[in-house]
Amino acid sequence: MLDRNTAPATQKIQKINFVEPQVLWINDSVKLLWMKDVPNETSRIDLYFNAGLRQDRNVIVSLCSSLLLSGTKQKSSTQIHEQIDQLGAYFDIGLSHEGLLISIFALKKNLLKAFCLIFDSIQDATFPDKEIAEKVTEKRERFKISSAKVGFTAQRKFQEKIFFNTPYDELTQISDFDNISKKEIVDFHDKWIKKGLYKIAVVGSIDSKELETIRFRCQSNCITSPITYFKDFCNSPGAFHVEKKSAVQSAIRVGKTLFNKTHDDFFDFSILNTILGDYFGSRLMKNIREDKGYTYGIGSAIAETGGSGYFIIGSEVGTKHREASLNEIKKEIELLNSLSIGKSELELVKNYLLGQMLKAADGPYAMMDLFLSVDAYSLDMEFYNRYIERIHQIQSDELKSISKKHLQWDSMSIVSAG
Amino acid sequence: MVEFQRYKLSNGLTVILHQDKTTPMVVVNTLYDVGARDENEQKTGFAHLFEHLMFGGSINILEFDKELQKAGGESNAFTSNDITNYYEIIPAQNIETALWLESDRMLSLAFTDKSLEVQRNVVIEEFKQRYLNQPYGDVWLELRPLVYEKHPYKWATIGKDISHIENATMSDVKSFFKKYYNPSNAILCISGNFDKSIIREQVETYFGGIPGGLKPARINPQEPKQEEFKCKSIDRDVPANAFYYAFKMGPRKSSDYYLGDIMSDAVGKDSSSILNIALKKELELVTEISAFITGSLDDGLFIISGKLSEGISFDELDKQFWIELDTIKQTGVDAEKLIGIKNKISTAKAFQEQGLLNRSINLSFFELLGDANGINEEPLIYQKIETNDLIVFAKNTFVKTNCSLLKVCNNA
Repeated sequence: MLDRNTAPATQKIQKINFVEPQVLWINDSVKLLWMKDVPNETSRIDLYFNAGLRQDRNVIVSLCSSLLLSGTKQKSSTQIHEQIDQLGAYFDIGLSHEGLLISIFALKKNLLKAFCLIFDSIQDATFPDKEIAEKVTEKRERFKISSAKVGFTAQRKFQEKIFFNTPYDELTQISDFDNISKKEIVDFHDKWIKKGLYKIAVVGSIDSKELETIRFRCQSNCITSPITYFKDFCNSPGAFHVEKKSAVQSAIRVGKTLFNKTHDDFFDFSILNTILGDYFGSRLMKNIREDKGYTYGIGSAIAETGGSGYFIIGSEVGTKHREASLNEIKKEIELLNSLSIGKSELELVKNYLLGQMLKAADGPYAMMDLFLSVDAYSLDMEFYNRYIERIHQIQSDELKSISKKHLQWDSMSIVSAG
Repeated sequence: MVEFQRYKLSNGLTVILHQDKTTPMVVVNTLYDVGARDENEQKTGFAHLFEHLMFGGSINILEFDKELQKAGGESNAFTSNDITNYYEIIPAQNIETALWLESDRMLSLAFTDKSLEVQRNVVIEEFKQRYLNQPYGDVWLELRPLVYEKHPYKWATIGKDISHIENATMSDVKSFFKKYYNPSNAILCISGNFDKSIIREQVETYFGGIPGGLKPARINPQEPKQEEFKCKSIDRDVPANAFYYAFKMGPRKSSDYYLGDIMSDAVGKDSSSILNIALKKELELVTEISAFITGSLDDGLFIISGKLSEGISFDELDKQFWIELDTIKQTGVDAEKLIGIKNKISTAKAFQEQGLLNRSINLSFFELLGDANGINEEPLIYQKIETNDLIVFAKNTFVKTNCSLLKVCNNA
């Protein structure tokens, strides 16, 4: 007879086999990574450009990145897009402060063609006036819509406090869209796209000759010296509120300057972050959603930059629960500073993290993404073995001291909007 | 080709097994044949509220998530107008934990007052976050009752009104569970790296003892054929005037679904689509325009929505909009464009099927449609579609008397 009151026995994950991609060098600073064992017809190529927001005015960088496929001397925007469609390919453009990522997805039989088409179109982009005008209008409209959201307002305020007085502190204004010259876009393109490629990652069982073609084609567009990243961030602490009368929810962002994977405390803080707010059973979720019902969701995260990073808690809560929610967040942080985490909670989080690690290593795409996320900090897959080891070993008192060291309420930038 | 085995337990539960030895994980997916369309009009939002309660503990297990996380797993769920779907993703060696948890909540819930009270509040905050506290957030709350007059698709999954959620009682919860959450109304799909030699025994151990029940009959009012064009304007504090043209089309199981899917890509998927080129690029009447289908199990919708350029009136757009649709009714989609769309669908399908969770949800959904093998048959259906089929679809669908238009006007 089945005993439903007793949980089935479980096995702990001890070891995960991480597979590194093959590494080919294009020059001293630029790698081409290749994960070639893919058990199906899919393939992806990621192109990383040193063309992030920090390199120029936000509006120029953002326009340039979204106009990369808007036409060349030979082809109109529509022609380029129709040719991409013919190949059944997709692309995705992601822009951050520190980089621009263009990902191309296609069946492997079409990957090389899709790459050549997209790469050439990007490099030969001429930025037709009509395309610029159209994109400016579109972006201005989107900006207006975003501005009406409390989450967007709070995030801007938070960025202002986190990136205070650094090359990352520009906030886009609506008037920026009225003040654009084609020359600025073209100059940016010349400097950061034509000469800014700094990493290429290929997933797919394509032919090695095809990979060689990709490598050859990229050569003249690569950076030639290593990229340096800004390191000296320091958030401005304190509480800041942006009032929005009509809002039925308030957005909350709480956080501070932290660090990235290269820091000695990274593993411990990651585990602590999970306990506080990075899974469904986290303390913030348990308290503010599952006990109080103030929100649909609340979470915390570590956001990394090339030379540093920051910690952030985010949520949208009913306006009348704003103060109460902030108080509970504070309470949860102080609890981590003062009381040791119980044995069963720590055991649960350890098992959960190991399970998530196994899932994050499932398949060639996941494996490449794991590699990219350590390679960005000049680390290798050994990082994850060390992390797994640390998860197994860490004790409650060590988490308490890491919390005391990094999670002081007075050091936080506390932002709300709504 | 997605390989699977399918069988039924004696209590009526349909089981699908899909083994994949390349992954270290297992997904346990449970689809219940119940959605917002099964709700009482006076108590809407209930299927979704109930989904939240399924995480509030079951008859023998106090805390669902805690037990799952202890085994290294995670879970989530979603509710639509048609279905409610739950899944666990867990390291393969701990598959039994997922079977234990999922079967116990199929057996019975804990039904605690605290859980109901908290989840009512959580869902109300979800209502605010998704539908009220952002520009255009309430569009579907307005559009559905404009388009559907009789069919329960006239309310959104979140519910018609917050008060319906506030007023939900424990007796409502219990009767809903009794009626819809029984094995004969569910499809269980297990995929990933399980042990083929013992999986059936494991399923029987955990699910076999759950008492069977009757599969509830569905008698939804039929939506009468629309006879005239419907139009509604609402004033909102939004940055730009927005339009939502909704055309009725056939259900998920009809050929309309595939034709509509291709047609929506052709007219409004991206910057090289027909309406983007005509209305945005060439005439500059709109700043954005896109098309999609709802893919509902009963009669669905083909939606074309977007935002007007500054200084352009709804009437100016409307005139040109119908001219473009008339052209499509005459010429369809040109052959080369059609090949491009089919190629993109093949690529998207290959990427989708890479993910274990997607495969699991899709197998369950196709089984609900009648046969899990639909997952393997669908590509051919798309490949067979020709320009003429699309012309017929356009002529049947893009008709003014088959259209409802919602205008969201900037009242600032």
